[in-house]
Amino acid sequence: MKDSKIRMLTLLAVVAAVASITLAAATGTQAIKERQEAMEGIGTAMKTLGAIAKQQTPFDADVVKASAETIANHLNTAADLFPEGSDAGDVETWAKAEIWSDHGNFRKDFETAEAAAVAMQSVTEEAAFGPALGALGNACKTCHDTYRRPKQ
Amino acid sequence: MKRRSRTRRIAAAAALGAVLVAAVFFVLTAARPSDRVLPTDTRDLANGEVMFHVGGCMACHNPPAGTETPGLPAGAAAFSTPFGTLYPGNLTPDPDTGLGRWTAEEFVDAMTEGVSPDRRHYFPAFPYTSYRNMRVEDLLDLRAYLMSLPPVRSSPRDADVPMIGLSRRAMGLWNRFAFRGRTYEPDPDRDAAWNRGAYLVKGPGHCGECHTPRNAFMIPDDSRPLEGGPHPRGEGHVPSLRDLVGRGRYADVADLTLALQFGETLGYDQLSSGGMAKVQMNLAQLPEDDLRAISEYLLSLR
Repeated sequence: MKDSKIRMLTLLAVVAAVASITLAAATGTQAIKERQEAMEGIGTAMKTLGAIAKQQTPFDADVVKASAETIANHLNTAADLFPEGSDAGDVETWAKAEIWSDHGNFRKDFETAEAAAVAMQSVTEEAAFGPALGALGNACKTCHDTYRRPKQ
Repeated sequence: MKRRSRTRRIAAAAALGAVLVAAVFFVLTAARPSDRVLPTDTRDLANGEVMFHVGGCMACHNPPAGTETPGLPAGAAAFSTPFGTLYPGNLTPDPDTGLGRWTAEEFVDAMTEGVSPDRRHYFPAFPYTSYRNMRVEDLLDLRAYLMSLPPVRSSPRDADVPMIGLSRRAMGLWNRFAFRGRTYEPDPDRDAAWNRGAYLVKGPGHCGECHTPRNAFMIPDDSRPLEGGPHPRGEGHVPSLRDLVGRGRYADVADLTLALQFGETLGYDQLSSGGMAKVQMNLAQLPEDDLRAISEYLLSLR
């Protein structure tokens, strides 16, 4: 009787441990997937803006505004998708440990990028487009340079 | 009795040997002042600014986060290396903490010999090993540009490196090897743009400091220029800059020029990792002709 009770408790403990590890991994994996989707959304919108900068497509204030809104929204969501423990999961991530050891500065970089995306929403003239895209691009680069491992 | 005198003789020989080794070390590692004569004509500030950006000065000599003068090279922000933490100096003309009292000779010695005005060796995280390839005119223009910036008072800090005195001294010996055969010569068989690109890459741009693999003594291996290798700051791998077209990295000179100008903004997101984003953002300030020259030179490497 006593023996089986111990066995039962051990089993429960093991199940609980496995479940919590699985849950943590799942939470990490979920966050990684969601933030990568958000970043991909930003990438697609950036390509639209990049095509205008390269003069492959004509400048269109409505397209610029819509793309900038998409980027700002994705940035706003993505900033919260780096919870503790999401440094690894079932999908590959390029997130560096500095995201969590230096989280205040990491959040600030996100705010800078979001502010640049918001500023771009009110660009109506082609002359202001280049500098606005430059500011947004530099915000992306600064954060990626510090907090993202090379994808190689 | 006999034994004792023998021990004494061995001790004396060892002491003499140690003194000799120390003397040889002292001579070999001394910071030697140069006796160059510099031109004194008026300097070109616009060219100095180009040198400032291609040299990437701001990438390391940036002030700590949250200071009032974020855009000026006042230095002192921590720069970590596998050997310890460095605190790059103040490049603004502040007389007490910056370059204000430096003579032109002292500036050129720092940039080409890696020696400070008080005759101590810098650590080669400061890429004087590449800057020594620069034309003296460009160095003086760069100095004139720096002296035209608003002075900022900083709080200089010595490097946080084990056995700092001895380590600095040892750099003198390292320089004797690292300085061999690394002076840039233009290639008369190539056109002006190619040579300009080669100069910017090997001199002020100091691309090889990361993109050329280093040997066991941490000296860039000139037999494998720009072939890529382990990241000198300890994390990851620095890509090769050879055969960029053949390896499908860039389509042509125009493509690479655009990449250097805009980086990730136009989707070249490989340029935003390992510190390269800072490099690219500095390069973005260069005249387009210089970026095209760099691209032309790099894409000629097979």
